[in-house]
This record gives sequence, structure tokens and C-alpha cells, in this order.
Amino acid sequence: MTGIEPALLAAGDAGPVVASLLSDLLDVGTLVGIVLGALSKAALYVLIAAGLSLIFGLMGVLNFAHGSFTMLGAYLGGAVMVVLVSSGTGPYARIALFFLAMAAVFGVMTAFGSAVEKRLIRPIYDRQPLFQILLTFGVVLVLDELVRIVVEVRGMQPRSDWQEALGTAPGFLQNTITVAGSTTRGLYMFEVLIGAMVVAVTWGFLTRTRYGLYIRAGSEDSEMAQALGIDIRKAFSVVFGVGSGLAAVAGVMLMWDPRFGASVPLSTDALLIAFVVVIIGGLGTFRGTVVAGLLVGLFDAVTTWLFHSAYVDFAGLPEMVMFLALVLVLIVKPQGLFGVEEVGGH
Amino acid sequence: MLEVDDVHTYYGESHVLQGVSLSVEEGETVALIGRNGVGKTTTLRSILQLAPPREGSVRYRGEELVGLETHEVARKGLGWVPEERRVFSHLTVEENVEVATPAEADVGAALDRTYETFPALERFRDKEAGDLSGGQQQMLAIARGLVGENDLLLVDEPSEGLAPQIVQAVVDALREVGRETTMLLVEQNFPMAMDLADRFYLLDHGEVVASGDTEDVSRDDELIRRYLSA
Amino acid sequence: MAISDDRQSPDARSGDVTERPPAEEGEDPTSDVERGGEASADDAATAERSLRRTLSEHRVHAAVVVAMGLYPPLYQLLISTPLGAEFAVVLPPVRTMVAVLYVGLFAMSFDFISGYTGYLSFGHSLFYGTGAYLVVLAATGKLPGLSAGTPFMGLLLLGGILAALIALLVGTVSFRLTGVYFAMITLGFAEVAHVFIRNWDHVSPSPQDGANIGGDVGAFQIGVPGVDTLSVGIGRLVGDSYENLFGTGIEFNEAMVSFYAVGAVVLVSYFAMQRIVHSPFGRVMIAIRENEERARAIGYDTYRFKLVAFAISGFFAAVAGALFAGFRRSVGPSSTFDLFVTADALLAAIIGGFGTLAGALYGHLFHEFLGGILSTESHGLSRYLRENLPPDLLNAEVAGVPLLDVVNVLIDGRAELYLGLVFVLFVLYVPKGILGTIRDRIGGTAAEHLPGHVRKYFRDRR
Repeated sequence: MTGIEPALLAAGDAGPVVASLLSDLLDVGTLVGIVLGALSKAALYVLIAAGLSLIFGLMGVLNFAHGSFTMLGAYLGGAVMVVLVSSGTGPYARIALFFLAMAAVFGVMTAFGSAVEKRLIRPIYDRQPLFQILLTFGVVLVLDELVRIVVEVRGMQPRSDWQEALGTAPGFLQNTITVAGSTTRGLYMFEVLIGAMVVAVTWGFLTRTRYGLYIRAGSEDSEMAQALGIDIRKAFSVVFGVGSGLAAVAGVMLMWDPRFGASVPLSTDALLIAFVVVIIGGLGTFRGTVVAGLLVGLFDAVTTWLFHSAYVDFAGLPEMVMFLALVLVLIVKPQGLFGVEEVGGH
Repeated sequence: MLEVDDVHTYYGESHVLQGVSLSVEEGETVALIGRNGVGKTTTLRSILQLAPPREGSVRYRGEELVGLETHEVARKGLGWVPEERRVFSHLTVEENVEVATPAEADVGAALDRTYETFPALERFRDKEAGDLSGGQQQMLAIARGLVGENDLLLVDEPSEGLAPQIVQAVVDALREVGRETTMLLVEQNFPMAMDLADRFYLLDHGEVVASGDTEDVSRDDELIRRYLSA
Repeated sequence: MAISDDRQSPDARSGDVTERPPAEEGEDPTSDVERGGEASADDAATAERSLRRTLSEHRVHAAVVVAMGLYPPLYQLLISTPLGAEFAVVLPPVRTMVAVLYVGLFAMSFDFISGYTGYLSFGHSLFYGTGAYLVVLAATGKLPGLSAGTPFMGLLLLGGILAALIALLVGTVSFRLTGVYFAMITLGFAEVAHVFIRNWDHVSPSPQDGANIGGDVGAFQIGVPGVDTLSVGIGRLVGDSYENLFGTGIEFNEAMVSFYAVGAVVLVSYFAMQRIVHSPFGRVMIAIRENEERARAIGYDTYRFKLVAFAISGFFAAVAGALFAGFRRSVGPSSTFDLFVTADALLAAIIGGFGTLAGALYGHLFHEFLGGILSTESHGLSRYLRENLPPDLLNAEVAGVPLLDVVNVLIDGRAELYLGLVFVLFVLYVPKGILGTIRDRIGGTAAEHLPGHVRKYFRDRR
């Protein structure tokens, strides 16, 4: 039995298989497991995509370097943890250090993102959008290679996860816990918490602050915003910086997650996830990004369950469904679930 | 107050403004008239530096605007009520006013002034601007242009796309605004422009071909007809 | 470039590709090839004049082909001189040049759609992978209906046709979108294929590592199928080699034979694409890039033009992939369907000159050239420096760091870093790339105008 044909079709006698699938699925433990899995993945997906969504919304720049910022964040966060955490560090101290690492990485990468915007992207705003894709893609090539060099010089394997950084997570997060008859890892619930926090803070920034108002206005019509006295170029730098900082914060979280981990290929993985989530939600709407993150998380949890419970004999199913969803949304509703017809002021 | 002097503006290779000169004195309402595509909107955009002129000068209260960024021009006290209104449709009415308020100014006071001038807007204060009717959106666009103690308002085609009975309300509102604020008005609706303005400039092919007091127009309307019809 | 007045009727259809280009002397150097062939026999003088013109207009093409053709023996000669070690560092080995040819063809096919119509095909690896996997799966007898002994030329064609069909399907839904949306949907399709091929256990027991063609399958033949004397086998280790060819004493190893055989296919493919971009069809492609709305307004069904261009591009991308698989005899997801395979084409096209076709090949030559020098292999600069510099110099410190470490960190296998930097610099400062900038300087394609410029240069110097 090969390929993507579900086992239930190969079985020939489909009726009982569907019935058993449904009865398996409707089990409380299974459902709770799927929901928890969906939430933890969704939290990560929203984290990864949030910055990209902000940047595209305001500037119309599809930042291909987004995943590289996430990867860089994972390594920087890991470095902070590996240096500061020793075997004697207690679990709560580790959590405190984790938040410290997150704040520090956010600060550094926000400054870095602003610098990239000012030095590299600003000179090409007046060219075709194509060049912004090309330029940010060039940044990917350079950044990934630089990180690979540093990682190799430190005697580590750039392609495999950074185990030492994974090990800095406190024991109670690495252990499994049982919620309503379903087992999950403490870490995954921690990720839901972090994801919710980042969404809440970003949401608050957008809706409750003067600068957030400028960004929402500029996302709709950047020329009109300028004519009302808003320095849109400055807003571009700030947003590109904050978006890069958020990408890196996602990286700090992923550094602890054994399903991801700090590695150079994380750059591409994170970029593709961010693209899928942001496009399904609608380029340029933060609300859409959050909803799309939840949806993609749910797809992921259901398809992962289908594979693990041997209904489908195809390990790539979750990933494939993700890209199929991307393609399908672009065919049926290119502006995304929550997007507006006209996207981007540039 | 505003001196536009021999301004040449290009879009790519096309020479849109070919030496436009005009002036607006404090307190007046000046209409910029002409057929479609002769450069009226571009003149406003050149004043705001949204379409920076390649030659010529734009002075506001004696200060050169050419070379400044658009947001710097706006902060000098120029308000813009653009074609098709361009209110931020996903922002509420209040947020639309707030976004135009300078950082150092009091948002509450700006809102009070807005509702004083346009009482109709107060009912919709928390509604998204995209849900307002065309006339209400136009009121909001004018209100937004006035926020921040702006004392020169550049108004572009305020009657376009509005039902006739609503046009009258907009005309009344603009006349009210015009009592206190200097206005440069681009308008296709000729009678409306003559009604609101003290003076006019007639634009054709990127040049001013006639100007004068609106009161003299009826006597001279052979010229006007030649440029406005066809 | 404006659309000329001799454009086709508004209901122009895809069949126009094969139509004779309208008379436009000088602007279309390839039109004379056809015209020469079509001239009636009794008008021999016209035919001869036409042939001579064709030859003169293709002088740059001919010079490039001759230079490429002379490269392998020249390389062999140079590395056997006293300065051989130094030449080996600088010059790419012949087997690398084979990669320049097939990846160059892939990059040209990418440029054909992206550089000429402005639609960035970010999932172009889909077509390359299709061609590559078709060859390996067919040769290992894993495709029903295709025997393991199917001639390689047939597989090239089949892979191309399959990819063209896939391109039509993908294009049908994708060309309703523009800009980043088009780039994203094509990337999405390629990623679907990438995930599929990584997990499809029909390919091999470990599909994530791809599949190999075992030694029991002979070398793939390029040439006339079924005629041994008119075919040569390609591939590392298994390809044909000739010692003392025609008694000249020249030895042709497998890499050299593969180089010429693959080169022949790439040359034919290049001229096919070059003809198309210089035909009325190509002018519509450029019109779409410059201003699609205008092209539509004057009556072109741009959607159909884009679809056909995409199918043609997909065809040649698959041919390139098939050549890659035929030469390397193994495929893996990361060397075929990966985003970074598309990135190689993008790099080559941007550095060589976006929308110049031939530039993409030169762009990839630059890539491999840099990659060869900075390679970690035995012919690389780092190995050379470590072996040839005196030990005390290697241990000397530069700003506190031993030179040896500097070499190891900054040179050994670091081509991708410098290539990335060059790419960013090109996007910022040389957006037209190498060939595009040259064309701007001399005011036309190099093939048309370079000879005149060279003549003028020498005349002026005299």
C-alpha cells in the first residue's frame, strides 16, 4: 500500500471503516486531544505569521526574509538560554530567563529589522513589487549562510535541532500532562499561553494606541494617511522592525519545541507556514491571520490524527493539506478569508 | 496665503502641468475648473507634494513647500478632502477624526468641534466609516480635513457621485466652512463652483487659460462654455 | 517595447507561435533562418545572401558555442601545465560545466516566463522535478506502461510534455492572479508536489532521500534513438568515453562526452526559446510585462498567451530536469522540487540579466565559477591555500585570528554567502543584470550589435 490513497478506500468495504472513524473521532479523549493539538499548533502558526501580516498590511512588501528572522530568533534565544541556564537553575528561574530572552531578542531583532528596512528596502519602494521579493529573498540567502557559518564554527550541525537549547526548558514543560483523558505536553499548553499573549499585545497595540491607529489607517490608504500629517516612512521602519521582532519572538518559542527546534532549515519551514497562514487569512488583516492560524492548526491536528490512527497511510498529509489549502484559497478567494479586494498601498 | 508659481509636473514621461500659476488669499474660496483630465487634481497633488513638481514653486505663507514631504506639508496647516472621499472605511468615525489630529493636539476638543460643525456625524461616532452613506462620508472627509486647526482646505470634487438632494447639503456645509476657512475647490459642477467661490481659475491642458471673479462669469460665459463643454 | 503595427488580428491564438514572423528586418535576427530555408531553389542568390546574413547575425552565438566547445580540451590542457594547480582552482571542472548547462537551461526556462512576461514563477522547481523524477522512475521500471528501456530522448520529450500539461493546469487557475499572488500560488503548487514526492514510498524505501539508478541500467543515450553510431551515452562513471579519438591522441572522458551531448540539447532548446521571444508571440509576452492592460486593450487575449508561454517554459524546465537526472543518475526532493532549486534559477536570471534568456546561463556559470573556487573539494581555493602556503604564514595571525582559521571560515565552502551578497548588490545596483546592462550600453541584443561594437572599438584604437 503506497501513496496517498486512504486505507479506508483500499479496504473496499468502506461502510464499517467510516463508522469506526466516526466513533473513534467522537470519543471525548480523541476530541480533546485534537483540540489541544490544534490550539498548540495554531498558537505557533499565529506567532510565526503575525509579523508578516503587519508588514504586508501596511507596506505591501511580502517579506521573504521573515522565516530567516524567526530562525535567527531561535538561535539568539537559544544562545541566551544556554549561556544563562545551568543544571542547577530551577524551573521558575528558567521560565523567567525565557521571558528575558524573548524581550532581549525582540529588542535586538526589532532594531535589526528597522535597519534592514532603511538600508535595503527603502531604496526600492518606487520599483516594481517584484524587486521587493527579490531583495528580501537575497537577505534570506545571506542571513541563512551567515548563521550556518557561525553555527559550524561553534562546532554544531546547522541542519539538526539545537539539542542543548531544547534542554533548557524546565522539566515540567517537557513532561506530558493529562487533560480530560488526553495526554499532551506541558510545553504545548505554554505555547498556547504565549501565543495568546502575543496576539493580545499586538491587538492592543493596533487598536488601543495612537501608533496602532496610524498603522491601521496607513494599511488602508497610506497616501491619505500621509496627507493627514502622518510620517508614513517612519511608520514603515517601525512596523518592519516590530514585524521582524515578532518573527524572532516566534523563533524563541520554537527553540524549546522538539517539533521544530533551532536549526537553519527552520528558516524555510517558518517562512512557508507564515505565507500559508497570512494568505489564507487575507494579506493585510491581522484578524484574518489569527483566524487562519486557528483553522490551519485545526487542519493540522485532524490530519495528524488521521495519520496516527492509521486511517491514512501518508506521513506528509498534514503538510500537504496546508499547501492545498493555500492553493485552494488563492483559487477561490484570492484576497483571503478576511482580506479586502485592494491590498497594499504600494 | 498660497502662491503656486509656474509649476511643471510629470507623471512618468507625460507632462501634466505645464506651468500652472495661481494664488489664494486668506479668507477666500477659489474654484479650479476645467474639463476632465486637464490637471485640476494634479494641481492639488502638486501643492501637497504627493506629485512633486519638477519645476516651479509652491509657497504657503511665504514658505516653500516644494522639497518637503507630504506629511510635513500637511502639518503646516493644509487639509485635503480628496476625490471619492477616501475615508478609512475600517476605522470608526471617531478614529477617522483622531487619526487626523496632530499628536500634540487634544482629540476630545477636535471631536467636539467636528460634531459642532457636523451634528449628523455624532450619532455614528462608533460606526465604521465604510458603513456610512456617501453624503455622510463626504461630511466626515471634510471634517477630517479641518481637524488640527487647518486653515487652508483643498477640496476635490465634493459633489461627485452624490445624489442631487445630498449635494445641496454638502454645498451648505462647504459654504459654512468657507466662512472661516480658506478653500481651494476643484469642482466639475459648474453652477456649484460659481455659487461657492469668490474667484476662479480655468485650466486647460495643464495651463491656466482664464481667471477672474465668479461674479463676472455670466458676462463672459462664451469663453467658459468653450472650455467646459465638449 | 511597443507592440508593432504588424501585430496579429485581435483574436490571435496560440498557434501563432509557429507562424512566420512578419517582415521586420534587423529587429528579428532569427527570422532569416526560416526565410533562408524557405527560399525557392531557383533563387539561389537570394538564399545565399540570406544565409550569409544569418551567419553574420549569429556571430556572437557562434563565438559562444565555439568557446564553450573548446573549453573541455582547453581545461585538460591547462591543468596539465606547470600552473595546473592554479588553473584547477580558478577553472570549473568539466563535470561542473555539465551542471552549468542543464541548470542554465532550467534558469533560461524560468527567465522565459518570469523575465519576459513579468510573472514570477516561484514554483518553477515543479517542472524541473517532474522531468527529473520521470527519468529515474522510468529507468527503474516504476512507471506503468513505460519500459525501463525507453530511449532517453523519448523520456526528455515525455517529461517536457508532461510538464507542459501540468503548466497548463497550474496556469489555468494561477494566471487569474498577478504579482505576489501569482508567485504564492505557484509556490503552493510546487510545495504540494514537494511534500508528495518526499513521502511517496513508490519512489524508493526512503522517499525523503530520493532514488538512484543502479549500475544495471546502462548510460542514457543522447542522439538518434536506435542508431548507436549517432548516439552517445551520458552520465558520470557510466557514460561513453573515447581514448585516442580518430587517432588524434585526444582523450574524451565521460564528463567531456556528457558535456557535448547535454550541450547539444541545451543549444537546441535555447534556440527554440530564443526564436519564440523574438517572434510576434514573444513581443506580446513583453507587452504583457510592460503593460498588460494595454496589451489587452488592443485586442490580445493575454490569458492565453501567458498560458502557452508557461507551458513552453515548463517543457524546457522539465528537459533540464531530465538532463540533470540522466547525468547524475540520482534524484532527491531537495535537488528537484525544493524552493531553493527555483532560487538557483532566480539567482542566475537576476545576475545574468532578467528578461535576456541567454543571461540566465551566464548567471549560472558565474554561480558555479564562484562555487568552484570557494569549494571545499580538492580543487577549491581553501584546500589549495592550506597545501601551498608555508605553515608559518598559515599560523600567522590576522587581527588575532590565525590565517588558517580565516581561510576555513571565510573561504572553505562559502560560495553561497558571497553569491547571496552579489545577488543583493545586483538587485540594488545592477537590476538589469550582466547581459541586460551590456544590451543597454550597446542598444540592442548582444547577438545583433556586439560585432559592430567590437569592430568600432578596434577601428577607434587604430
